[in-house]
Amino acid sequence: MSQPKKKPFKIEPFKHKVEMDPRYAEKTWKILEDAIHEIYNRNASGLSFEELYRNAYNMVLHKYGEKLYAGLETTMTQHLQEFSRVIEAAQGGLFLEELNGKWSEHNKALQMIRDILMYMDRTYVQNSSKTPVHELGLNLWRDTIVRCPTIKDRLRDTLLDLVHRERTGEVINRGLMRNITKMLMDLGVAVYEEEFEKPFLDAAADFYRIESQQFLESSDCADYLKKAERRLNEEMDRVTHYLFPRSEPKITSVVDREMIGHHMKLLVEMENSGLVSMLTDDKYDDLARMYSLFRRVTTGLQTIRDLMTSHLREVGKNLVVDPERLKDPVEFVQRLLDEKDKYDRIIRSSFSNDKTFQNALNSAFEYFINLNARSPEFISLFVDDKLRKGLKGVSEEDIETVLDKVMMLFRYLQEKDVFEKYYKQHLAKRLLSGRTISDDAERSLIVKLKTECGYQFTSKLEGMFTDMKTSRDTMQGFSSMMANCEQPGEAPTLSVQVLTTGSWPTQSGARCNLPTEILSVCDKFKTYYLSTHTGRRLTWQTNMGTADLKATFGNGARHELNVSTYQMCVLMLFNMADKVTYREIEQATDIPAADLKRCLQSLALVKGKNVLRKEPMSKDINEDDVFLFNDKFASKLYKVKISTVVAQKESEPEKQETRQKVEEDRKPQIEAAIVRIMKSRRVLDHNNIVSEVTKQLQARFLPNPAVIKKRIESLIEREFLERDKVDRKLYRYLA
Amino acid sequence: MVRKEDTVTLISAEGFEFIIDRKAALVSNTLKNMLTSAGSFTETELGEVRFPEISTPILEKVCQYFYWSLQFASGKETEFHIEPEMTLELLMAANYLHT
Repeated sequence: MSQPKKKPFKIEPFKHKVEMDPRYAEKTWKILEDAIHEIYNRNASGLSFEELYRNAYNMVLHKYGEKLYAGLETTMTQHLQEFSRVIEAAQGGLFLEELNGKWSEHNKALQMIRDILMYMDRTYVQNSSKTPVHELGLNLWRDTIVRCPTIKDRLRDTLLDLVHRERTGEVINRGLMRNITKMLMDLGVAVYEEEFEKPFLDAAADFYRIESQQFLESSDCADYLKKAERRLNEEMDRVTHYLFPRSEPKITSVVDREMIGHHMKLLVEMENSGLVSMLTDDKYDDLARMYSLFRRVTTGLQTIRDLMTSHLREVGKNLVVDPERLKDPVEFVQRLLDEKDKYDRIIRSSFSNDKTFQNALNSAFEYFINLNARSPEFISLFVDDKLRKGLKGVSEEDIETVLDKVMMLFRYLQEKDVFEKYYKQHLAKRLLSGRTISDDAERSLIVKLKTECGYQFTSKLEGMFTDMKTSRDTMQGFSSMMANCEQPGEAPTLSVQVLTTGSWPTQSGARCNLPTEILSVCDKFKTYYLSTHTGRRLTWQTNMGTADLKATFGNGARHELNVSTYQMCVLMLFNMADKVTYREIEQATDIPAADLKRCLQSLALVKGKNVLRKEPMSKDINEDDVFLFNDKFASKLYKVKISTVVAQKESEPEKQETRQKVEEDRKPQIEAAIVRIMKSRRVLDHNNIVSEVTKQLQARFLPNPAVIKKRIESLIEREFLERDKVDRKLYRYLA
Repeated sequence: MVRKEDTVTLISAEGFEFIIDRKAALVSNTLKNMLTSAGSFTETELGEVRFPEISTPILEKVCQYFYWSLQFASGKETEFHIEPEMTLELLMAANYLHT
């Protein structure tokens, strides 16, 4: 198949019809001009689009584009000037209506004109970089109407007046407002901003400046916030109804600034209704409102947070140093926990769980808990109380919650080692007297402490539990041996707990002469124990034991007395005599005077449990007192528990002693830290050592710089460190 | 049954009437403007456009082009044949109609 050969194609120049009417342009333009008039007069239905389009097309084609464009501009301006006169003439409220009406007329006409002049828009306007028809129409409207001196101010004032009237509660024509603002927006963002938004914002600022002043004078904080919130919502509502969305952040920031930002301090500190009273009275809603409003202002939350912290510190300080409260440690800790719960609740429900607020809360607690040096002791006492009796009949989860809360307080403590010391003492008492209710709870707390402070912190505590367990096993072996080989009956039953020295808080120098009956059993146990565990040393801690005694009183009443080892020793003396003097007792038992007095007090002076009588009858034990067996002792119960008058809370000298021990214990820890640091750094100046040591030991306690200095000196003496010869502030590590 | 609103009448210089689908006519931007303009021009009201400067063969070709363009847009790629001798006039009409 052969392809048809393509003929060479020749393009000939287009031969224009040159014979043109010289008045062609004038005539054509006249037609178009008339059409534009007709369009503005809303009389376009008789016009032929094609004809007008063709005329405009031909004008542009025949290089009369410029004439067409200029003509259009003049004609349109004429019409707009006419409009402007009509609008100016409109009275009062009709002004906006008229403006709006004319605007929509102009818009319609503009659209039609643009359509018929489309060809010009497409070619002439682009080639000679003029403003397109539609935009030209808008610009002309802007310059002849909106910015016409007689209209410009009136328009702005009318709009602002309407907004003001709406703010004061009148109902205005929101639709009209929307049309006008839309018109301004159509004319360009700049026009909207300049002609309306800026004055609008200024007016709002003035309005709210005055109003906030009035509110401040007439209402309390909560009320003020409610009003401010309502105003804020109104403004947002206004934006959605007849302003442009982009105005929202601007107008709300004006309200924020005028209503909140400028008055924050005044508001939070308002007497009887400010932040403090909201916090005290648990005003969750008001607090939440305050939070959400203040959050809108840069330093708003900070203001709340700062005041809350200082208030909390104040309250906490009162709580912690109030001597009344210090009387009952359990109550003291419970109050701390309540306070914490209260603020947790506030932060949760009103401050949207804001992390920064939680931190502020924590730091406030840390601040005031450590104001009182006895906090660690009290917290341990609180735990002691809970684990002894407080948790009876409480479900496992509740125990966990209580323990978790205690741990939270524990975390605030700076002197964790002091807590450890007390906790050890209290735990020892609990374990030895068999008073602990729930082994699980005990262990759970130890685990918590372990996760918080590490293995080291709890190893001794755990050692105590292990001792308890091995002791049980040992006792089983011992009693079965006793049952096998000894004559049963007369010998007292002995129960021994073997405690590892070091794990337990021991009070050295505890001594006492045990009654011979007891002594023999003790010796038997000693031989039994040492036969299985060679190379160990057993010492009796008589100050920690208890005894059950069967006693017969005057009227033949028999009672079982649950007493401490010391009390037992004293009471055994009355097997031989009915009347013993203080001095005799002291000599026979060899109990330290303070302990002896306490034990006699509990035997003779506690009402209902006075198995002894004292002569002369007085409140205190004197060295010249004489003690008699109380024949008339009576009790409803068969078993009588005679508790030693134990100072639950430590007395002043005991406190000093514990303090001393803690300080003693800290020394090696500080030294170890210094050596660790210097070993890796080799050379370091004083301040850095102090800060590093503080950092290392923070988890346990807050070392005193003076103490650190002393330790450094001691290390220098022992030649672990030396001072630099040139710079005396530098220390060197000597390997 | 074709409704009247769905069709448009195009009239050539010589008076020939081409009745085509409205959507075909809308291929031309100019026609689209004429037929949808907000104002009430005669064209919008009658659905009839007169072209005193376009001859019958050219207008016919233009109408063919409208339909071809619709097909092309829907994915059917065929060639649109143009006789060389009417190229120039067609070009002018296209410019006028903005197609």
